[in-house]
Amino acid sequence: MQPRRQRLPAPWSGPRGPRPTALLLALLLLLAPVVAPAGSGGPDDPGQPQDAGVPRRLLQQAARAALHFFNFRSGSPSALRVLAEVQEGRAWMNPKEGCKVHVVFSTERYNPESLLQEREGRLGKCSARVFFKNQKPRPTINVTCTRLIEKKKRQQEDYLLYKQMKQLKNPLEIVSIPDNHGHIDPSLRPIWDLAFLGSSYVMWEMTTQVSHYYLAQLTSVRQWKTNDDTIDFDYTVLLHELSTQEIIPCRIHLVWYPGKPLKVKYHCQELQTPEEASGTEEGSAVVPTELSNF
Amino acid sequence: MQGTPGGGTRPGPSPVDRRTLLVFSFILAAALGQMNFTGDQVLRVLAKDEKQLSLLGDLEGLKPQKVDFWRGPARLSLPVDMRVPFSELKDIKAYLESHGLAYSIMIKDIQVLLDEEREAMAKSRRLERSTNSFSYSSYHTLEEIYSWIDNFVMEHSDIVSKIQIGNSFENQSILVLKFSTGGSRHPAIWIDTGIHSREWITHATGIWTANKIVSDYGKDRVLTDILNAMDIFIELVTNPDGFAFTHSMNRLWRKNKSIRPGIFCIGVDLNRNWKSGFGGNGSNSNPCSETYHGPSPQSEPEVAAIVNFITAHGNFKALISIHSYSQMLMYPYGRSLEPVSNQRELYDLAKDAVEALYKVHGIEYIFGSLSTTLYVASGITVDWAYDSGIKYAFSFELRDTGQYGFLLPATQIIPTAQETWMALRTIMEHTLNHPY
Repeated sequence: MQPRRQRLPAPWSGPRGPRPTALLLALLLLLAPVVAPAGSGGPDDPGQPQDAGVPRRLLQQAARAALHFFNFRSGSPSALRVLAEVQEGRAWMNPKEGCKVHVVFSTERYNPESLLQEREGRLGKCSARVFFKNQKPRPTINVTCTRLIEKKKRQQEDYLLYKQMKQLKNPLEIVSIPDNHGHIDPSLRPIWDLAFLGSSYVMWEMTTQVSHYYLAQLTSVRQWKTNDDTIDFDYTVLLHELSTQEIIPCRIHLVWYPGKPLKVKYHCQELQTPEEASGTEEGSAVVPTELSNF
Repeated sequence: MQGTPGGGTRPGPSPVDRRTLLVFSFILAAALGQMNFTGDQVLRVLAKDEKQLSLLGDLEGLKPQKVDFWRGPARLSLPVDMRVPFSELKDIKAYLESHGLAYSIMIKDIQVLLDEEREAMAKSRRLERSTNSFSYSSYHTLEEIYSWIDNFVMEHSDIVSKIQIGNSFENQSILVLKFSTGGSRHPAIWIDTGIHSREWITHATGIWTANKIVSDYGKDRVLTDILNAMDIFIELVTNPDGFAFTHSMNRLWRKNKSIRPGIFCIGVDLNRNWKSGFGGNGSNSNPCSETYHGPSPQSEPEVAAIVNFITAHGNFKALISIHSYSQMLMYPYGRSLEPVSNQRELYDLAKDAVEALYKVHGIEYIFGSLSTTLYVASGITVDWAYDSGIKYAFSFELRDTGQYGFLLPATQIIPTAQETWMALRTIMEHTLNHPY
């Protein structure tokens, strides 16, 4: 069960107001910082519902990007976090430069298996400054979060994961994690967590004002080397981009050791255009998917 | 049982039948006697002349028995099939080779074949003969769902009937369940799941919901009132071709499977193919895109079938289209930020529905118009429904918010369905109490 916390209040879920107000709002957004108090207003908020659809989406976008970056920078597969709730934020939009966002949000530990059980109940809090450069990827991020796990405990858990990974028998035979029914074998969790860690780097780099990504599935392990001082992991994931609904295969190569900064290299497949696609095969004989192995 | 090993001297049943029977008997024997055929092979030998044929016959007479003929030496023109236990393989092959008998390995390892067959049989047993043994907490294939539909309709024929509203691109039937307590053309409620094939939680939720309706009729006051005055239609597999594809080849396939001459990429996003703001922002004219809207509105048979059905019926009062994931409940429009005329009413109703949902398992949904809550999208189901006069048009995005996404574990099917039901019930109750 998710901990009982305040629901997203009326402004975020409200309908749009009458048109003139909307135009004014849009104008204000362009010229001045928009203060968006997200913590106020519970389910019984009697106030006039205003349109805050765009800023809320932007704040969430920024929070997600910041979290991907935070996860990557922490270099710790046992300390991954996910977004719980956006609490407040401001945005400055400059048509020439881009979009600066300051956002405060809460996080919880990433642990897919625990959804139906009582969570530890502790939420971390983060504050981030995110700069989206005019629709370009790789937003600049400055983020600090309160500690969810003690540093020593985190190191211990990372080292435990590292030992588990070294003992894995033949991860190269893995077909997919999770499997098509959403199941992750407990013995394979370490691989999934490490894959998620590497994917965080990729997702941070690819996030823009309008695109954001989720990790859908780990589809193959090309290389898994455990040396005395590193784990060398070469794998393919499928990322799901929400605004276009595209599934993007990415090949990721990471090198990890507990306590050391994560090294990541990657290559993601581009979306096929009709021009690129034509002239390669007879149309009727081929069943192309956007996920053909590369 | 026909075709006993050791063979006869007359032509028996066809090789396939005989082999199937033999394999079946092996499975039976294996099950009963726990025999193991690991490493055993079936060799096929073609005798060149009568001498070779009689040499094979000699093998048959060996004591202790070294081979087991599935198709004994009969005529020169017929192949001889023999099962050779793993321990005898070396000897037998040496025997054959030393006498110039050409052989091929028909079955490399019988145990493997037996295991595969056993699995296949178990699988076909899953096409249950009654809905009592159907697992609501598992994901199912298209065949399993269609089989369940037939059983379900049979068991609850007083309330439920099955209607075929059309055929998919690959000529699969498109089926709708009708829940009705009688009357002619009661005002109706439409629910569709699976319009995007990778959203497996939606079909699973739909199936559970169908069962919930028949279970609760006569017990739950609200549901009983609804069904006494209105009909409910549920289309469980709105995109059957795509759904089959998610099982066979590509778990994350979204669109249908329509193919057009000269176009390399397959499929149209069925939730961009409706005649409402078709081709606008939030849809794509690139056939390789996941949000490709198709060549024209309703060009896709899966969409046309629904349009024709709802239009011909003429008395639908609510339409609910179920997707995943993101945990959202939304109303029109998707195509623009323009509010619908009964925006306030839909806002309040969504709010109530989401609260009812939350009370079940504490899962939080956000709500609002589609364009402001999720993104701008054109040519979508609920926009078309609203423009066609259906005032209560809603779109769900079920669990979760990205941890598993489309690959939601089966353990979450029932909790998801339970909470979604409370939201559906809220919407249906409001529709009942606000006739128009």
